[in-house]
Parts: sequence; structure tokens; C-alpha cells
Amino acid sequence: MTNLKKVLALAALGLMLAWPFITGDYLTGLMTQILIFGLLALSADLLLGHAGLFSLCHASFFSVAAYTAAILQVRYQVPVEVSAICGVLSGTLLGLIFGLSVRTRGVYFILVTLAMGYVVWGIGYRWASFTGGDSGVTGVAAFSLFGFSFSSPKSYYFVVLFVVSALIAVYAHLTASPFGLALRGIKSSEPRMRSLGFNPAKHLYVAFVISSVMASIAGVLYVYFNKFVNPVSASLHVSVDSVLMAIVGGSGSLFGSFIGSAIVLWLRNWVSTFIELHLAVMGLVFIAVVLWAPGGLMGWVHKVTSKSSREMS
Amino acid sequence: MMGPQPALEVRHVTKDFGGLRAVDSVSLTVAVGERRVLIGPNGAGKTSLFHCISGAHTISGGEIHCFGNLISHMPEYERAAIGIGRTFQISSVFLGLTVLENIQIAALGTHERKWDLWRRPDQITGIDGLCRKVLEEVGLLDRSQRQLSSLSYGERRQLELGLALVNRPKLLLLDEPCAGLSPAERQRLFSLIKELPRTITIVMIEHDMDVALGLADQVTVLHRGRKIVEGSADQIKEDPQVREVYFGEV
Repeated sequence: MTNLKKVLALAALGLMLAWPFITGDYLTGLMTQILIFGLLALSADLLLGHAGLFSLCHASFFSVAAYTAAILQVRYQVPVEVSAICGVLSGTLLGLIFGLSVRTRGVYFILVTLAMGYVVWGIGYRWASFTGGDSGVTGVAAFSLFGFSFSSPKSYYFVVLFVVSALIAVYAHLTASPFGLALRGIKSSEPRMRSLGFNPAKHLYVAFVISSVMASIAGVLYVYFNKFVNPVSASLHVSVDSVLMAIVGGSGSLFGSFIGSAIVLWLRNWVSTFIELHLAVMGLVFIAVVLWAPGGLMGWVHKVTSKSSREMS
Repeated sequence: MMGPQPALEVRHVTKDFGGLRAVDSVSLTVAVGERRVLIGPNGAGKTSLFHCISGAHTISGGEIHCFGNLISHMPEYERAAIGIGRTFQISSVFLGLTVLENIQIAALGTHERKWDLWRRPDQITGIDGLCRKVLEEVGLLDRSQRQLSSLSYGERRQLELGLALVNRPKLLLLDEPCAGLSPAERQRLFSLIKELPRTITIVMIEHDMDVALGLADQVTVLHRGRKIVEGSADQIKEDPQVREVYFGEV
């Protein structure tokens, strides 16, 4: 089984590396988006899948990072590299503040993060003199590093693939570390964790901030892909999508968020070509997953493979 | 004259829940290495008193000292760090994790590397040995890779004890460790507790009089939130007040 997993992982990596060469610009762009939103979903899933917190404000970190990078570069001519770093820092700063929400649990946490998300969206939408209002900030330059510009979809795809892969590796370590194990312990039983010497609030706060860093990186990757940013990126819609992707793909798994992102984005692109009600279709997919495959696609695959291996032995 | 420092000293501790006084000015002193058993009918306030000592409840009045530290208002997780370990009446193990992961979490609770973000728990020096040792002690070594869902109720009780033992607490609070077990399982867990070294001071809540009295150096009887009598097992058995609240005899 582990060998099979290794082969699958290598095959997936090979496919990802070959993707821009075997497909055109459109599918390369779609895969870039899948990776970026998969990263956003993975960031939200650090809280949902590992710590059991359902956040509805991850679009905030995503969009604040994107806006910061865009505004610095377009209006103040700050070099792209510096704008990108400032973008991540600003999203993280917001995470340090919004992280106070871990004082609440359950439905209150959902409501608090929902409200915080609306505040950011409202600022993006209404503070037009600074954020550009409805039309946002346009004319963002292509991402560049040390004078080399990644302006073609192909070259930028590899930037995103590199950053996302590196973050997946870090995430794998993080979730298997004592810290990650403690998060799962908190998800399972907070009173027990306290009696064992853990301060759950501290662990959850750190997890929240790490999660906001990842969402901010996704936001910066997004702004150089999209070349503009508007309040839609801060909307509840994006926050819900990120959690939905994690759940559809398999919450708590390493690659589930990306599989979920692929399913959601591909379905949206495909369904919207012949039916305007693509949101309703997404809703039905979500309901079906929750009812019949609560572990998401990864959980379902795991169940089927472990069942068949039991039957074989 | 000051005697040797007690492991636990509870002074006039009171716990109110709204209008209900669950623990009413209870005082008790437990010497280092002692086995103390708390008995009393349902609703006597035994578990509430445990929650006050472990820090799960904030006390409404009184003082608690543990090995010379005033811990009355210390957060629960800091009490674990000074050596208080406990088990729960209803198994409070981590579902969704393996047996080994359960024990690893417990071992990391007061460990200096609990904030390690990079290495796996088994790569941290000492953790593996600690976990294996306690798993062997509670008889779950061959189950270490199992998911908790495949464990029997008795095995979960064993794990419950393992979680509390892995960090070698100085004061161990056991809340009905044998509750719900078959006589054979009960006997096994009980002898395990009996064999624990005297470096661990034990305070145990137990309903089974025979089990309780077989282990106890001293027994404290609670009734309606108050301490009604304290003494050796034999004294308790003969005490008319205890017979009355426990057996309904006069």
C-alpha cells in the first residue's frame, strides 16, 4: 500500500511537471488556479481538519495580502519581490489580530470569523479611494525575481507549483509534529488536553496564525496570476469555497484540499458553459459529499481500498 | 510542630454551582506516597472535588496546596506541569487517533519539546522509550498501532490510566478507574494500580467497597458535599454513620 502510494505520488508529480507541455495555456491557467485555491483550502483545513475549527474568514487574509501586494506595486512602484513579501506580512498581521477568535468555539467561532470576514469585505468594497472600490486594483505586473519576469502562463505555473510543493512539504512536517498531534488532540478532547498540561488556546492561536500565513501566500500567488484584485476575493463566497474544497476533497488529508479544489474549479468551469445555475450544482455536490462521503473523496478512496485489501486477505 | 510536607492539602474547599453546593468546606490532607480512597454515594461531591483539585473547576472558596505550592487558582495545564495527573470517570481518550498517538500526546504534555513544529514525536529523544514503557505497563504494547475504535471498553480504561501515568505524576487522581469493567478486567487494572510505586501519591474515587478498602491506607467518606468521616478501612467499615449513608442501616 505504501509502495502504491509512492508510485501514485511520483506519477502525480510527473503529471504536474509535464502539465504545461501537454496542455494549452487555458488548462495551464486552470491548473495554476487549482493549486492556488488548493493552498487556500489547505490553510483553512489546518484549522478544520486538524484542530476542528470551522473558519469563515480565510478570504480576508487571502485578499488583504493580494490588495497589499497590488497597491504597493501599482501605486507606489515598490518592486514586485518586496510587494509580495509585504503582502504576506500584512495578511499575517491580520491573522495575529483575527486569531483572538480562538477564544470561542463551535458555532460562535463560525459567527465571529464570518463577521470578521464581512468587515474586510466591507472595507474593500466601500473604502473606494484606497481600495479602488468595486473595480479594485488593476494593472498588476507579472511576478519577477532578480530581474527575471515570469510573464508567460507556463513560467508562472512553475513558480506556483514550486511554492505550493514547498508548502505541502512544510505542512506535512507540521501536521506530523508534536504541535500537529496536539491540534488533533484538542479536536478530540480539550478537557483531556488541559489535564495533560496543554493550553489549548495557545496552540489554537498559533495554528490560526500559521493558517493565515498560508492563506496570505495563496493571496499573493493569486494577484500575480490574475493581474488584478477586487472585493470579490474578500467575499464570503471565497471563504466558503475554501472550506468546501477541503471537505469535498477530504478534510484532514494532505492532498484532499487540492483534489477538492480541482473538482470545484473544474466543475464550475465546465458546468457554467451550459447552465447558469452552476452554484446550485455545486450545492448539490456538497450535499452529496456530506451525506454519502463525509470523509471527502480521499476518505472514500481510503475506505474502498482498505475494504478491498481486507477482502483480498 | 511542622510535619513532613503533605502531597495534597485541601483546606475548607467549597464549590457552588448556582444555588447548589456540590462541595461544602471539605478539608483533607494526603501524605506523600499515601493511597487515599474517597467513597460516598452518588452526588456526594467526589468528582466535583476531583475537578477542583485538578483545576477543571475553579473553587468557590478555600485553598488547595500541592507539594507546598498554592494551586487554588492555578490553570489546569500548569497543575499538570507540577505533577498532578488524573483519569476521568468516563473514558476521555482521543478518538480518531491510534493508541500510540494517544500516549505520545500525553507524554508531550509536560515535555519541553511540545512546541516542536518539525520533527515527528518518535524522533524526539526519550519519547519512544517513555511510551513503550507505559504501554507495556498497562498491557497495550501489542495494540499500539490500533485505532481507538477497535479497542474494547476495558482496553480504553487501560489506556485512560496510561495517559495519566506516562509523565510519572507525583499525585495521581483516579476517578473510578474500574467502573464498568468485568470482574476479571477489574482485577487486572486494580492489581496494576496496586503495584504502582510509592513515589506516586494516589487519591482514588471508588464505588466498589472491597476494591476501595483493599487499596486504601486511609479512606475519606463524603456525603452531600461534606466530609463525614475519615479513617482506616477497618474503622470505616465499622463506622455507624458510614453504614447509615451507605447501606441505609441505622
